[in-house]
Amino acid sequence: MPRLEDLTEIARQGHLNFPVFEHSDAPFVSLNKPLSEAKLALVTTAGLHIREDDPFTSGDQTFRVIPSNTHPRDIVQSHTSIGFDRTAFMRDVNISFPIDRLHELVERGVLGGLSENFYSFMGALRNPKHIQEETGPEVARLLLAEKVDGVLLTPT
Amino acid sequence: MPTSAIVLIKEQAQRVKPPRALFVPFPFGFALGKPDDSEFQHKVLAATLDLFGSDSAPVLAEFPDEADAPAQLLQAGLAHADLSKEVDLDPVDEVTALRGYFERWVEDHDGRTGVGISGVPQRRWRGLMKYLQAYANGDSVTFEDMPAGMPEQRFLKLAADDIKAFYMEARMCQRPEQQNNDLQSWFWTETATGAMLAKIAARLSESDDELLKGAAFGIAR
Repeated sequence: MPRLEDLTEIARQGHLNFPVFEHSDAPFVSLNKPLSEAKLALVTTAGLHIREDDPFTSGDQTFRVIPSNTHPRDIVQSHTSIGFDRTAFMRDVNISFPIDRLHELVERGVLGGLSENFYSFMGALRNPKHIQEETGPEVARLLLAEKVDGVLLTPT
Repeated sequence: MPTSAIVLIKEQAQRVKPPRALFVPFPFGFALGKPDDSEFQHKVLAATLDLFGSDSAPVLAEFPDEADAPAQLLQAGLAHADLSKEVDLDPVDEVTALRGYFERWVEDHDGRTGVGISGVPQRRWRGLMKYLQAYANGDSVTFEDMPAGMPEQRFLKLAADDIKAFYMEARMCQRPEQQNNDLQSWFWTETATGAMLAKIAARLSESDDELLKGAAFGIAR
């Protein structure tokens, strides 16, 4: 987003005081192979799902599975936040969910491959405890079961 | 499992400390920078994927400022609205008038559309718009195509999102140069449906039912 100093005072304070999970350090896990041999997964908080799936509801901390071979016309956004410009996603899903770009990187040999499934949560949650304790670890287990080497995380 | 993230608020990333993160100076809704610009998106992706090469964590890198980054969305679409303004056109007729642009947008985007999350097929929109008009006027109405078991406030929100997506896509086809703030301004001040949704939101916000009251906020933006 624009730097916080460019926003109105109320928006700036809203973001500075948003109740995030604060940490003093970060876990380090190295990618144990070159990207050109790695299987990458995409996980987004853009509130996306395939057209037939259930829309996200307010405060929703569940996730949706989006197979990585899904055509962009079958991906829709039902994020309940009013704080972002939806027209960018209407123009191009890759603006938040770079599914076409990742396939291009595989074709170019930059990436080794993609996981069978990508995943979407919905962000802008004030207390994502259920994601932290339940649905987040569940997605991590699904990614590990697919032998994913690395995960790209995108917001909206 | 190693992760690399694109983040839109640097100050929050500094508090959360994800292992690898690229701060991008773009508005919400524009994580990869520019829609329909695959070259630019690849630059952002490359910068994010490069972080997998880091040998410690956390790493918070910054994508360079781009002079032509899109303008930030003015939040609160309803702030544009003038509720006293009379709009001549009927919402049903307005949808009919815009349908050609909408269909061309979908055709130009390989079948993609954001419309469809309410579950109401577009052939039933005449009935949907009639229902919403009656709702806006304070009538006690039901809509027979409302998905079974769905609470009214949730249906109203999803239907409003579908309708807004239809209008935005039609308008982007009609006026490709317009950005979000122009689109928001047009929808809320110049269209009959914008006025109708604003009236629905006003009705909801006056409700004694907290769930209905809460739905007003999302509908009018």
